[in-house]
Amino acid sequence: MAKHDLAFDPPIMNAAGTLGFAPNLHSVVEWSELGAFVTNPISLTARTPAHGRRFVAYPGGFLLHTGFPNPGLSSILRHYARHWHASPIPVIVHLLAHSAGELAGMVRRLENVEGVSGLEVGVTSDVNAEMVAAYAQAAGGELPVIIQLPMERCVELAARAIEAGAAVVSLAPPRGLLPSLEGELIQGRLYGPAILPMALRVVRELKQLGIPTIGAGGVYTQEQLDAMLAAGAIAVQLDAVLWHKAGYGLFN
Amino acid sequence: MGHSTGRVIEVRLGSGGHTETCIFCPEGAVPSAGQYTLASDPSDSNAILGTPIFLVENFETGFWAVPLFPTTWGPGTDLDLVGPLGHGFDLPRSIQRLGLAAVGDTVSRLMPLVHQAVNTHIGMTLFTNLSLPKLPTVVEVYPLGSLKSSLDWPDFMALDVPLDGLAGLRDVLGLPYGTGLSCPAQLLITSPFPCSGMAQCGACAVPTRRGWKLACEDGPVFDLRDLKW
Repeated sequence: MAKHDLAFDPPIMNAAGTLGFAPNLHSVVEWSELGAFVTNPISLTARTPAHGRRFVAYPGGFLLHTGFPNPGLSSILRHYARHWHASPIPVIVHLLAHSAGELAGMVRRLENVEGVSGLEVGVTSDVNAEMVAAYAQAAGGELPVIIQLPMERCVELAARAIEAGAAVVSLAPPRGLLPSLEGELIQGRLYGPAILPMALRVVRELKQLGIPTIGAGGVYTQEQLDAMLAAGAIAVQLDAVLWHKAGYGLFN
Repeated sequence: MGHSTGRVIEVRLGSGGHTETCIFCPEGAVPSAGQYTLASDPSDSNAILGTPIFLVENFETGFWAVPLFPTTWGPGTDLDLVGPLGHGFDLPRSIQRLGLAAVGDTVSRLMPLVHQAVNTHIGMTLFTNLSLPKLPTVVEVYPLGSLKSSLDWPDFMALDVPLDGLAGLRDVLGLPYGTGLSCPAQLLITSPFPCSGMAQCGACAVPTRRGWKLACEDGPVFDLRDLKW
């Protein structure tokens, strides 16, 4: 895969945070069903799991608040780089950084790692356009860059990401609040089929703006996947459906 | 991790108002006590995640299971099964007096230990405030509140505790911080397992003396001495 060349065959991959840090060849996942593997989010230093209740179900989906636990980039490279090299499909490393400078340092450490085909950069939900541009520039280098933007703000921010050098944008799960059984309000990322209408609208608007987009959010069936591609996505990231259907033929 | 298919052949009301499901399936899909198998109804277009199911009782061609969440499965429902997953209970052979405590929402997940203990003639006491399933007569049952004053009786304890309940376990056992049980104990920690270990998503992370562990993968049964509680 050459610089800025992001082609996926098939045009399907997992979303960050759904299949771990490297393809597990002993899992039930049929890797030939995916055109790329996206790692769990990786930060420079270790992150521990969020405290308190982390999962709340609701009709049509569920809320997840995990804190993106990971052991940090150095530990990840020690444990998983050889698995990326041996991966049967292209590997895209998802990075979380506190600043553009920190991101640039992480990117430099990944550019010579065998088996890394691209980068996906996550940003916080309160990010502004200048920060998006700074992250896209900082990540630029030898590897094609996907900027993952908050779904709710993707249309507002995507053009700056592309102008600053990102090859593609992808959609992060929207965030929401739900009461737990104890009545406490839990904030987190939303998953499930209830997200699909919102995701489709965002993908179509980005297509109209000429923004290359990897769609994501709520795809559970082949028809929904086709709809996402028809709306203009160049590829689609699958999330919770992988936990539900992997091993049985995703859309059989 | 294997995957297979099964079929629901009967349902019944179990302890704590949970529905228990009798599943016809290959022997390899049957979890051991405390392990789980992930089950989903492929014809249910509204299902969003698989449901962890735990062993209640074995029979020749399948097992009675208790799902972690309510399901709409009925007799004749075909299920996709992934597993068994995780690590279950491992009772030492030397046990003479087994203490069981159901701190969560059902006694059913401890029932395989009851059957195991009956077969090996181990003395048994169950502590719970929940409605009871049909129990062998050798099982003595006491309210959970009496557990504090009975901790010198068992030589091994098996507990069923929700992840949310771990912080309150010291109150249940009446043990101040820094102290532990005088006998070995294993804890089945129940929690939603949204990724069932596929992603290490962290939703079921448990604090242990060796850092965070995942109940879906490293548990759901843990040695109490390994936990930070």
